[in-house]
Amino acid sequence: MSDLMSDPVIRLDSVALCYRLAQQRLGSFKEYLIHMVKGSLTYEQLWALRGVDLIVTQGEMVGIIGPNGAGKSTLAKVITGVLKPTEGQREVRGTIAPILELTTGFDYELTGYENIFLNALLLGRRRVEIDERLESIIEFSGLGKFIHSPIRNYSSGMVARLGFSIATAWVPDVLILDEALAVGDARFLKRCQTRMSELREAGATTILISHATDMLRDYCTRCVWLDQGVVQADGPPGDVLDRYNEAMSQARTVPDQQASPDSAVVSLDG
Amino acid sequence: MHELYKYRDLIKTLVIRDLKVRYRRSAIGFLWTMLQPLLMMLVLHLVFSTVFRFDLPNYPVYVLAGILFWNFFQQSIITSMNSLKGNAPILQKLPVPMAIFPLSTVISGVVNLALAMIPLFGILIATGHPLTSTLFFLPVSILIMAAFTLGAGLLLSPLAVFFSDVIELIGVVMILLMYLTPIFYPVSIAEKHKFGWVVTYSPVRAIMEVFRDPIYLNKIPGPAMLGVSTFVAVAALILGYVVFRRSSDRIPFYF
Repeated sequence: MSDLMSDPVIRLDSVALCYRLAQQRLGSFKEYLIHMVKGSLTYEQLWALRGVDLIVTQGEMVGIIGPNGAGKSTLAKVITGVLKPTEGQREVRGTIAPILELTTGFDYELTGYENIFLNALLLGRRRVEIDERLESIIEFSGLGKFIHSPIRNYSSGMVARLGFSIATAWVPDVLILDEALAVGDARFLKRCQTRMSELREAGATTILISHATDMLRDYCTRCVWLDQGVVQADGPPGDVLDRYNEAMSQARTVPDQQASPDSAVVSLDG
Repeated sequence: MHELYKYRDLIKTLVIRDLKVRYRRSAIGFLWTMLQPLLMMLVLHLVFSTVFRFDLPNYPVYVLAGILFWNFFQQSIITSMNSLKGNAPILQKLPVPMAIFPLSTVISGVVNLALAMIPLFGILIATGHPLTSTLFFLPVSILIMAAFTLGAGLLLSPLAVFFSDVIELIGVVMILLMYLTPIFYPVSIAEKHKFGWVVTYSPVRAIMEVFRDPIYLNKIPGPAMLGVSTFVAVAALILGYVVFRRSSDRIPFYF
């Protein structure tokens, strides 16, 4: 393990990601054909990420901060492997436990117990592995006897607790948390933080996306400030967060000149 | 392929989930799978044996085998077509191989078909229909049916994500195909008509006969039917695989 310490776990090499939003409502195949024949198929290109370089080594705890629409969630999806970068290279070593939303991968008609299997299998676990950890997952979720009732009867906090228990039951190589801890009460938050520290000691690398600057300051070893899809700053949490807060308070006093992300209208076939 | 094998436990769980969720809140549960084709058979039997009079011995077996084929064929194609769209929240957030979803819907279709065949055997016995060893050919027939519908699902599920009207279109095509396939009428009726060849040489009919012949005619399907159905099944599977592979990177962008 130790000789791999310096090897990057996550490597993003000038990653750019473009959402192509059709200008016309292209909900239907008929409209698509009409526009294609007329050569009037235009798209708005929205670059959610541009030239992002990121190298994360094992055991780091990287906080990602930025205003709404900065590209934080897109970045999380690229690291997870859900979205393929339009340009550039992505490389992630080992298993990933993405918690982009604690309610993802649940079937509300099934019981909490049945959902443990469904959810963990979606995270790429084998059935035998789940059997091994079943007790501890139920224990950590604190759901008690409710584990055998359908989760449509759960509160959102209960679903979130179950989701977190499942995703962190195994030590992943990379743990990605996107605003996931915003739900849940203070006591559960405390347990989550303890669990995250344990995972880190066990060798996990963590990416934490949050607006809670205090939490990032306390927990992260490093912070990345993302704005309009570009990395603005990358370094020790104290420095990055101070600069970020300063920029944000300035933006509040000075009217924003470029509120909308740059976009270009490009005509295909034209 | 390798990826899919790694996720075999997930596929199994999704199939069981499908079956569980389908019947969880119904009073008689999975008995519906068996009852629905029987009621359908009863209705068609009443209509076509008394009102129209087809020249078909043991019409209930003829029509029930056809209904079982059609239910599988249609439901398998429609549900696998919708499977990516329906699982959008998962596909937006978790890196799972997407082909798992159309695949598991086709597998649960096969399980449903197997359940629905239990009353078919009841009808065979009740009507005194001969039970011969040709019934052992049925697993091959079902494999061909499953391969074709999986191919169709792999082809249509990305298209359904890109264009919402594909779902409407296929719904209409399915109704058309149902009438163009000799499920509840004999092929001899179509053959009298100028455009009867559409029915006679339909590949869907070939796939159906491969399933119905061992049950109704007590014979192994002939080389023509077997050849055509195997060919279209393999072709659909290859086409579906190619389209699915080429479009899977773009799918999460369209949810």
